[in-house]
This record gives sequence, C-alpha cells and structure tokens, in this order.
Amino acid sequence: MAAQEFNFLLATDSYKITHYKQYPPNISNIYSYFECRRKKGSQFSEVVFFGLQYLLKKYLLGQVVTEEKIQEAKVFYQMHFKQAVFDEESWRKILEKHDGRLPIRIKAIPEGTIIPRGNVLFTVENTDPEFYWLTNYIETMLLQMWYPITVATISREFKKILAKHLKATSGSLEGLDLKLHDFGYRGVSSQESAALGGAAHLVNFCSTDTVAGLLMAQRYYSCPMAGFSIPAAEHSTIISWGRSREKEAFERVLEQFPSGPVSVVSDSYDIFNACKNIWGDKLKERVMERSQDSCLVIRPDSGDPAETLIEVIKILEECFGCSLNVMGYKVLPSYLRIIQGDGIDLSSVDEILQKLADEGWSAENVVFGCGSALLQKLNRDTLNCAFKCSYVESNGKGMDVYKQPVTDPSKGSKRGRLSLRRNSDGFLETIEKGAGKPEEDLLVTVFENGSLVLDYSLEEIRKNARLRDEESLEPHDVEVVRITESP
Amino acid sequence: LYVPTIVVKKEDNRHLLFALSLQVTHYKQYPPNTSKVYSYFECREKRTDPSKSRKVKYDKTVFYGLQYILNKYLKGKVVTPEKIQEAKEVYREHFQDDVFNEKGWTYILEKYNGHLPIEIKAVPEGSVIPRGNVLFTVESTDPECYWLTNWVETILVQIWYPITVATNSREQKKILAKYLMETAGNLEGLAYKLHDFGYRGVSSQETAGIGASAHLVNFKGTDTVAGIGVIKKYYGTKDPVPGFSVPAAEHSTITAWGKDHEKDAFEHIIKQFPNVPVSIVSDSYDIYNACEKIWGEDLRSLIVARSADAPLVIRPDSGNPLDTVLKVLEILGKKFPPLENSKGYKVLPPYIRVIQGDGVDINTLQEIVEGMKKHRWSIENIAFGSGGALLQKLTRDLLNCSFKCSYVVTNGLGVNVFKDPVADPNKRSKKGRLSLHRTASGNFVTLEEGKGDLGGDQLHTVFQNGKIVKTYTFDEVRDNAQLTESDY
Repeated sequence: MAAQEFNFLLATDSYKITHYKQYPPNISNIYSYFECRRKKGSQFSEVVFFGLQYLLKKYLLGQVVTEEKIQEAKVFYQMHFKQAVFDEESWRKILEKHDGRLPIRIKAIPEGTIIPRGNVLFTVENTDPEFYWLTNYIETMLLQMWYPITVATISREFKKILAKHLKATSGSLEGLDLKLHDFGYRGVSSQESAALGGAAHLVNFCSTDTVAGLLMAQRYYSCPMAGFSIPAAEHSTIISWGRSREKEAFERVLEQFPSGPVSVVSDSYDIFNACKNIWGDKLKERVMERSQDSCLVIRPDSGDPAETLIEVIKILEECFGCSLNVMGYKVLPSYLRIIQGDGIDLSSVDEILQKLADEGWSAENVVFGCGSALLQKLNRDTLNCAFKCSYVESNGKGMDVYKQPVTDPSKGSKRGRLSLRRNSDGFLETIEKGAGKPEEDLLVTVFENGSLVLDYSLEEIRKNARLRDEESLEPHDVEVVRITESP
Repeated sequence: LYVPTIVVKKEDNRHLLFALSLQVTHYKQYPPNTSKVYSYFECREKRTDPSKSRKVKYDKTVFYGLQYILNKYLKGKVVTPEKIQEAKEVYREHFQDDVFNEKGWTYILEKYNGHLPIEIKAVPEGSVIPRGNVLFTVESTDPECYWLTNWVETILVQIWYPITVATNSREQKKILAKYLMETAGNLEGLAYKLHDFGYRGVSSQETAGIGASAHLVNFKGTDTVAGIGVIKKYYGTKDPVPGFSVPAAEHSTITAWGKDHEKDAFEHIIKQFPNVPVSIVSDSYDIYNACEKIWGEDLRSLIVARSADAPLVIRPDSGNPLDTVLKVLEILGKKFPPLENSKGYKVLPPYIRVIQGDGVDINTLQEIVEGMKKHRWSIENIAFGSGGALLQKLTRDLLNCSFKCSYVVTNGLGVNVFKDPVADPNKRSKKGRLSLHRTASGNFVTLEEGKGDLGGDQLHTVFQNGKIVKTYTFDEVRDNAQLTESDY
C-alpha cells in the first residue's frame, strides 16, 4: 500500500491541475514515455535503468485517492490559485469507479538493464478513457526517476574506470565491488534522496556508509543486506584527544578494533607527519601486527587528491616496504592500505589511478570514497531525462504527437506508440509510430490499475547491470591504454 | 497474471539508522573519560582560488531548515526497544561484527524515555549571516552520552540544502530587485519574478518539499506544491498559503491537438482562463512563428481584450535564453506596441507578458536582465522560472557547509580542539565554545574559546533534551531574510 499520509493529489506541479481543461475535446487516451535523450558531446552514452519499483511501491500502489485527500486538495488549490480550478469530480470518480486505485498502465524495461541513450525506458497510459489527464499528472513524480538512473549510471562509470586500472595493474578484478565507498549521506539534499541514491550505488558496489540506502534496498528490492562498511575514525574522534595526542588517538582506534579492517583519517594536522612519524615509526609495530583481514586503511582528507596520495604512498613505502605483484606493480604490505575520500569524481579517480600506475603502483593499494559527486552533484540534465506525450486518441482516432522546437532540435520527442527491441546486431533500438512487433517488445508491464505486476530483487538488478567483459579487460601489455568508454 | 503480495512496512524515518556507518563506531574512539563533545556548524569562508573566479560571491547565507530537521527527526521519543533491536541486527550484518553501541542507546531509552540528551543553540531562522560564522552548536548534556553529538552530525549537516537553496534564491532576488528598480523605478511584483519549476528535477519528494519551502522564504510563486506542505506543517504562516501559481500549459496540452492545430490549442486554452493570468508554452514547433503569426495576428483580438490582472504570459522553452527572450520581445513589440515608462524603458501592454523558464540559473538570470536593460526593455515585461538550478544543481561545497567538533571535556577538564590540515588552511576549524555577537557597526563576529559574553549571544537554545524550546513562524523567517536597500 502506498504511503498513507502522502497526498498523491498534491504531488504534482501546480499547473497540471489545470490541464484537464486544455486537452482537445473528446480525448480518451494519452500515452507518454520517458527517455534519457541523446545529446551530442555527452560523456555518457548508456544508462542504468533503476528506481521505478521504489516509486511504484511507495507512491502509486493500491488506493491513493480517498475522500479526505480530495477535500484537502480542493481546499489547498482554491487558495493556491485563488480560484476554483481543481477537478474534484474526476478524482471522486476514480474513488468510486476504481476504489481510489490509479487506472494507469506502466510498461518498462527490466531494472538494471544497460541501455543506450535515446531509447524509450518506460511508457505510461491511462486504462480508462475518462482519466486521460492522469497520464501526465504523474509526470512530475515519474520524472524524478532521473535521480536513481543517474546515480546508478555514474556509479557504474566509476566501476568501469576502477575495473580498467585494477585489471591492468593487478591482473584480476578481486575486490572491485568494494573499491568505491559511498560517503555521500551528509552531502545529499534529504534523507529520502540519501536512501534512493545510496541504493542506486549499491547496484554496482557493496560498500557504503549511507545506511539509508541499505534499508531502501531491503524494503523495496528484497535485499537483506546490500552493503558493508568498516569501523572508521572521523576528525572529531582524533582531535578530541588534543593536538599533542594524535598518536594516542590513532592507537586507541587500533586497539578498539583489533580484528577487521579499520580506517583512520590522518590529516587533522599534518598527513605527512602522521604517516612518517606516527604510523611509520611510533606505531609501526602495532601496524605490522595486523593482518590482511584487519588491515589499517589510512585516510588523507585534504590537499590535491592525486599528489597527496602519491606522497603518502611513497612515505609508506619507505617505512613499510612493498612487494611486486604478478603484473610487476608495487603493492604495500597486506596489512596496510589507503582510502582517498576527498575530491573524488570520475575524472580525478581516473587521473589518480593513472598517476599511481605511472609511478609503478597497483590499484590494489587504494580504495576510494565519494560523496557529493556520487549522490548530489548531478541533475536531470546530466542524462537529459525527459517525459513526453507521443500518442493520443480523440474521437476514436489515434494520432502520433510530438514537439520539435526549431530553436533546439535535440529537444524533439518521439512519435506514436513505442516499443523496444534488440535488433539483428544485438543492439537495443526504439521503434516509433506503433510499428514494433509486440512479440519483440522488451518493455514489460510493471504496473496496472493500482497493482504491481513484477517485483525485481536487487540480486537480479545487479546481474543485469554487471560490467561486460570488454568494459574491464585491458590489452596484456603493461602500459595502461584508455578504452573508448572512459570519460 | 501473477500479482505478488507486497508487504511494505509502515515507513518510519525516525530511526537510529540515520547516522553514517562510521559514526556507529565512534563511541569507542573518543578519549577515555570524555564526558562532553561540543560541535558547531558554519558555512566556511573560502579564500578564492585565483584560478577559478566565481561570478557570485555568496558572502552571506540565509539560515533556514533546522526546525524541519528537529521536528521531523530529533524531537520526542526517538529510541524504542524495537529500534535498538533493528539497529543492532542491521549493523551486525553491515559490519560483520558487533560494534553497535547497544548499551549507550539503552541508557537513553531508560533514563530519558528515548529522548535525546543534547542541546542545540542556533541563530534565528531566516537570519542573513556572513560566511565564517557559527550558525548553530550542538552539545551532549549527559556525560554518558558524549558520543551522541557527532551521531547526529549526518542528519544536521543536511541543513546545507535548505540553507543553500534559500541563499541562492535570495541572491537572485537581489539581481531582480536591482534591475527592476533601475528599469521600472519600483519593486512591484518582485515576489513573483522567480517561479519554482523544480519539482520534477529534484532527487526525491522530500527534497522537493524542503527546497521549495526554502525558495518561498524569498518569493511567493511556486509550482512545487510539496514546499507548501512543509511550511504549513513545520513553520506555519498567518496567511492560508505561502505560495501561489497560475494556470499554465505544458507541451502535451499543445501537441495533443496535432501539429497543424497549434492555433486551436492556444485559442482553446486562453478562452478557458479568461480572468486570471495564463501562461502558454509556445515553442513546441516554432516559437517565433507562434509569437508573430498566431499570437500576433490570428489570436490578437483575444489577447488585447484581456485585463491587466489576466495577462497572457508567453513561454519560450528552448534556444539560448537571452537571445530567445530578446527576439521574442522584439516580435511582440512589433505586434503589441510597448509604451515607455517613467524610467524610459519599454513596457508591453499590460495584457501580454513573457516568462522564461528554460536554462535559468543565477548567471543566465544576470545575463538576461542585463541584456534586456541594454535593449531598453523594462524587467516589468518578464518573469522567470527556474527548476534544476533552483533546487538541484547545488552541493554542500557551494557554501562550504561544515560541522566540526571544537570542544571536549575529558577527565573533568575542558579542552579546545580543532583540525588544521597542513595542505589546506581553508579547512581549519574553530576552537572551543563559540558564541555569535553583533558589533557596534552591526556586523557579526564569532567569538571562540569561550571568550564571548553570553548575554550578547545571538545563538538561542532551540532544542533541549528532546524538546523543541523555541520556534519560528515562516513569517518571521521571511522577515529576517528580507532584502535591505543596500542589497540592490
């Protein structure tokens, strides 16, 4: 059942209240679709489809219209527009005729599907001719799909970069799904966004500090525990010891968490001093006592991300030594690793790993944390997400409709009823104008008349979204060659 | 047709799980015999990096949004035995280890009936404060619960969002006020000059509510209905609603008529709303043709019959924002000759206006009003809509919002603490107990190390041991955030 206190009638852009008066007379069907429009020069050529099930379960399922909600909306819109323009009667009809359930059908590609830009991802239409206006009433809510899609897509782009470097410098992809840790909880705009964004990241990785995402995955995608973390310090737990007792603070963390990995932020005063004189000298024995399963992960958190990391790793090499792996790259002793969680985005992570490789270091040495670049520094224009009407029926006749602004051809929309198929070359393509064959259509009904028709688990979604071989393989030569998909 | 039984547990966002994972383990990391942790929040000052010249300085910030967080997540009984149990299980799986502080939370449940023993002091909501000043402080009030201060950090730092939306919205108000004054001689209609179009472009329903309410601190026009609900529930206004809208078309209500029937669509819609302003998006096929031929000729008689209270508002929605606005104004100016106002700027007849709602952010806004002024168009002619840039294209880094520990009590002794990373002086934090004061010249200053005279402290206790002890109405918030003449 969709959230009880949430008033669905108030969950739309104000102007949509007035649209039932604007459509042509005798209109009986409005059919709209969602896509991530293709845009020249964009660095993202394909997207991960994720998040619809959350919206369906939370907001659209079951009875969403009640008399109380109609009354609340009526009173509100009267004041908001300073006139009576709200279509009270039609909402009451939904209540009476359909028990307050939405007479809508949504067809979508399976969650987790990787799909090129410019393709239909889901379609929406009314199933009862009286409620033609409902299709675009829910645009506002459904367009928010841009967010989980974009987070999952960017997270996966990170994965491609990490896989590329890991494969090239270590010969394997072990630990890949723990290589990018979600640090974004505090830097996101709300608890709900944290949950949704956090879950979207977990489509590709298993490490997170955004606990809300775990609960989202549990409640909406049947995954009991989608991500893991390790005990870690923050600045307050170090500086509260006082400037002269940084060593004692570090020591405390090590002794409180003797088994299992532990991360210690080390830049409160001087990261280089901390690495050289505290970790590398005063506490050296304590560090060396730890095993691979209980390694110390040192965290710098200021300065230029790449340069700081290189300098830190050099200091640690001097103090602890290193060994060469099968690919001939240097690896710190297994009890010691580094996490860089400051200033990380798609380009800096690539740059950092490249610099490390150039200096002879394996990507195994470093794990990354990412906050706002993963969960907040994105918007609907990142992947040009749009929801547009493409087909209507009036007076019993169907008509393909579209916009095509002369001022911006890239904003043109698709025409007619749409379907998605895999062509003979194996690529996904959208067929417009109702010309697609139903048996080839990869869009499946997920929601109909208030009921959820399919229920995807995070496990299936992760499988659908996994990296393909060509996204992580590198030629065998030692030089790291950039593959065309990297930004 | 298989219809699975969906059992979705009643959603209760007030759980113990709103901390970052790492904070779960911090109770073990503070120095032994720590009995208090005191932290503060600021929008740090940033010495500008010469390589990036920011056009907008954001010297001052609008403080807003704490009351929402306190009410929704922190007040009252937030700990129950079920929540402790849930947290314990989740964290055991998440860490693959028992690190959760069950004892600490049980103590709070038993001693305080699940209310949080912390005290929060803050500047009044709506206050406009220069960067680099303390905005609120948080401290634990029970020696056993020293770890609680930073447990609530994650949720409190999310205040960066309403602060940033309100601040960025207010900076745009300054720009609009300045140009409106220059080109019209008054500020009439300023409150409706920047309309919130951002509902679809934010990351969640909750964000929409918070962000839209933050914009309404400065303006009154919104389509993001969710914001009004937040204001009513968490702040309250004397007026029945704090935000308004007008009937408007969208592309589907035009294109559904078919490509050859754009005129019929326009005509139908304008007739549906004879007595209120109506906004009609006109770029589905060719904005310039729509302005010149359809509005300017075919339907001209319908437009000129409208009153000044019920103008047609034409909405372009593609192309370069400034160029499009200027060209649209030029075409409309030919078909509906403008008059010159007292400042010597052109104003279209009162029955026709323009709204630009595509590609509007603080920089393009500046460009457009400047461009209009250069071409002698008054800002009375136009209103703006902003979506993504208003509510989504913002991060915590824009105003460098930060929460840091500045004082602890260990073994009965108070110690001023701080971070000061060698590689980044901008990241240095304040020391000791803090207070905020007004100087004789009316400026703000933060006093550190407990040196401030608390009599003059602008920080007021708003939350104490689970209770909200001071609240602000939205009217007070708006009052505090008003522009002053020096702002434009």
